[in-house]
Amino acid sequence: MEITLKFILNKKPVEVGVPPHWTLLRLLREKLGLTGTKEGCGIGECGACTVLLDGMPVNSCLILAPKVEGRRVETVEGLGSRESLHPLQKSFVENGAVQCGFCTPGMLMSAKALLEKNPKPTREEIKEAISGNLCRCTGYQQIMEAIEAVGK
Amino acid sequence: MKKIGVNVLKLDALEKVLGASKYGGDYSFTDLLHLKVVRSNRPHAKIIKVELEEALKVKGVERIFTANDIPGRNLVGIIQKDQPVLNLDRVRYVGDPIALIAARSIEAAEEASQKVNVIYEELPPIFSPEEALQPFAPLIHEKGNLLIEFNIIKGDIQKGFKEAEVIVEKTYTTTWVDHAYLEPDGGIAFWDENGRLTIICPTQNVHYDQREVASFLGLPLEEVRIIQASTGGAFGGRLDITIQCFLALAAFHLKKPVKIVYSREEVFQVISKRHPLKIHYRSGAREDGTLTAVEVDILGDTGAYASYGTTVAIRAAVHATGPYEVPHVKVRSRMAYTNNPWSGAMRGFGVPQIAFAHESQMDLLAQTLKMDPIEIRKKNALRVGSETATSQTLIASVGIGETLERIKEWRDKVSCLKEDPERPYVRRGIGIGSMWYGIGNTGIANPSTARIELNPRGEVKLYIGVADIGQGSDIVLLQIASESLGTELGEIQLIRADTSLTPDAGATSASRQTYITGNAILRAIKNLKEEVIKEASHLLNENEGDLFIEDGEVKHRQKLCLAIPLQEVAIRAKKTIRGEGIFNPETTRLDPDTGQGIPYATYAFATHLAEVEVDIDTGRVKVLRVIACHDVGKVIHPKNVIGQIIGGVAMGVGFALMEEYIPGQTVSFVNYLVPTSKDVPEVIPILVEDNEPSGPFGAKGVGEPALIPSAPAILNAIADAIGERIYHLPANLERVLEAAQKSKQR
Repeated sequence: MEITLKFILNKKPVEVGVPPHWTLLRLLREKLGLTGTKEGCGIGECGACTVLLDGMPVNSCLILAPKVEGRRVETVEGLGSRESLHPLQKSFVENGAVQCGFCTPGMLMSAKALLEKNPKPTREEIKEAISGNLCRCTGYQQIMEAIEAVGK
Repeated sequence: MKKIGVNVLKLDALEKVLGASKYGGDYSFTDLLHLKVVRSNRPHAKIIKVELEEALKVKGVERIFTANDIPGRNLVGIIQKDQPVLNLDRVRYVGDPIALIAARSIEAAEEASQKVNVIYEELPPIFSPEEALQPFAPLIHEKGNLLIEFNIIKGDIQKGFKEAEVIVEKTYTTTWVDHAYLEPDGGIAFWDENGRLTIICPTQNVHYDQREVASFLGLPLEEVRIIQASTGGAFGGRLDITIQCFLALAAFHLKKPVKIVYSREEVFQVISKRHPLKIHYRSGAREDGTLTAVEVDILGDTGAYASYGTTVAIRAAVHATGPYEVPHVKVRSRMAYTNNPWSGAMRGFGVPQIAFAHESQMDLLAQTLKMDPIEIRKKNALRVGSETATSQTLIASVGIGETLERIKEWRDKVSCLKEDPERPYVRRGIGIGSMWYGIGNTGIANPSTARIELNPRGEVKLYIGVADIGQGSDIVLLQIASESLGTELGEIQLIRADTSLTPDAGATSASRQTYITGNAILRAIKNLKEEVIKEASHLLNENEGDLFIEDGEVKHRQKLCLAIPLQEVAIRAKKTIRGEGIFNPETTRLDPDTGQGIPYATYAFATHLAEVEVDIDTGRVKVLRVIACHDVGKVIHPKNVIGQIIGGVAMGVGFALMEEYIPGQTVSFVNYLVPTSKDVPEVIPILVEDNEPSGPFGAKGVGEPALIPSAPAILNAIADAIGERIYHLPANLERVLEAAQKSKQR
């Protein structure tokens, strides 16, 4: 059984059929082909699947797909394009914030939510904002520097 | 040098920030079958029967494979082939694979996996290496439970201890650590249009995977193609076979594309771990701090299978003295099979564990002798001309002394108030940790081959088998090629980590790719230039001896206006000009009785200083700052090196304070803690560039060295803060609290 969902995805309206027990993460990856959002644990512990729901960062592995009906979802694919990178994407590339890259999409979305709320965050505020996003490669420092550089 | 020592943009970063980079689990086909592995829930048992009937009835199940379906050799393993891909009659740990389900949906595969009924006959399990080595212990493998015993004997250990005026003797233990790479293993397999069974998956070594899969299927090598997907971290966990053979088996029989993605729980259960080591360490020194003798006994738990157990036993032994000159050395290093989860390669291959021991010993000696911990290290530090524990004379690039010097400057600036009047429950401390690390495999051949070509379309193509696992080898190796060729970075196309296109570079492990493949590239380019000169001499009707190559152009010694870009030569010659280079570091086999020889061509060195704050009421340790000074040889890409160091420190914080895998209990990040942004200290990296004459432009390596000194420095800082030492990793809340209370009682 599938239900039909209508919501705004990366600023565009979409209408899609989905089994009601699917998570938003699965919907994005398997139905909508948006594989930029990653699954690192499936239980909301690692933050790799972070997307923005009405501007708030959420673990898309914990959100049932029907919950997004009528709402606004943003994923890494909506952030910027090859031709025109979002300032955070550019800053991540320039500051060495990307190693294996698996945490990167989720990290970018958490950072975007932070900067929209707080355009000039302190180091402590950045730490807090990305504390739900695990990164095993970088030790976070260059990620924090990349976010800070955009805030300046 | 224009391309070396500069921060150029990392090639893969753009795709990754766009979310466009494809990891194993991101690949898909429309008529895909999903795989699920059925695993043992017993640590040690005979398999009496595997009942598949109920599972086969599940709607959507296409087929269920067992060991009987394997056409080739059902054993894999990097050194000893002792690990069945699917077990036929025996299981050796909880998680051992028994059957493989292929179904049209993930749900069907999951459901069927619950319905496979395995009838076991229990065998007595063994959960510690001590038990495993008891006489008459049940055998986990036919050849016995002792995987390896490796010894180092240098000088006369008794004489060494006779000369000692102080002796420190302690036992240190470490536990299982999970790589916790963020991407759960996932990939696909299919038959390509050329009739090759093709697998796209995360890996650290495509050519090893190819050899294992080919012999597992009984196919010729060239009929198996392995392509590295974007790899979401690895740290050694992707050196062994993970999902490759499951994908191969299903695609081989079903002739359809297949996909597997592990859950995080499965990753925790079945991927290799860092070896738990028990280290008994005895050091002797004169009153002035000079080391006279080091005697070490190491016993490790390799779990159910050998994997890299042998490597870890040998590498830990070879590095057991630390970066110090010791005249009399005796090390016995053993690794035993148990029915615990299997341990394998993890960033440092036993050296992070042994460094915890040798650096604790150095601080204990300093304390006993009332010496400055940095001074005692400096006094004994290896230098050019020193002899190591394997009697290798170091001839160049021994930067340990300089790292100590630079850290001393910092230490003298750090005024550390032990107590905080505002917070009476807080104690602060600082600690030093040093390390050395041999680049490349230990005393065995580990060559890399690189190929470069100029084609008639004017393209320059560099073919390397190196798996970039996020650390940035792609860009570093391109920098080396571009500098040597005299072309711009953007002019070289990189083709990498695909067995059907690239030559064998060996594994991305042992911090070896910059040094070894970097050198292979230099040789390939030298070879290419010779071929270009031959071709140009023919085209231009000039003597080969009059032509030379500079800044990417063929030039003439007399005719100064002649300058033809290299690419132009291939275009005009209407043919592809190739260069190939092989590099194998100069090592010797270690003597099987005494461990003497030349295990590595070069070593990296480092010293970290950690500042910590300990809450003596809760046991909570906060690492405030780590100054991380590394001799990596010439730095090719500063930002990448710094990225490795900062990331290594974070992993070191985890190793020191929180990471503890408990078999049967650890299933998720809820009960396996890895450092978050709030747990990591500020890191100040300092680069010492003691150029290695045999390295590409003087480079050595940094991947594993980045991690190694952090935990020792943190543990020494905790001891400094609370006046009581912890001998078991991790120094978690309970252990720190216990130590703090012991200290209070004194």
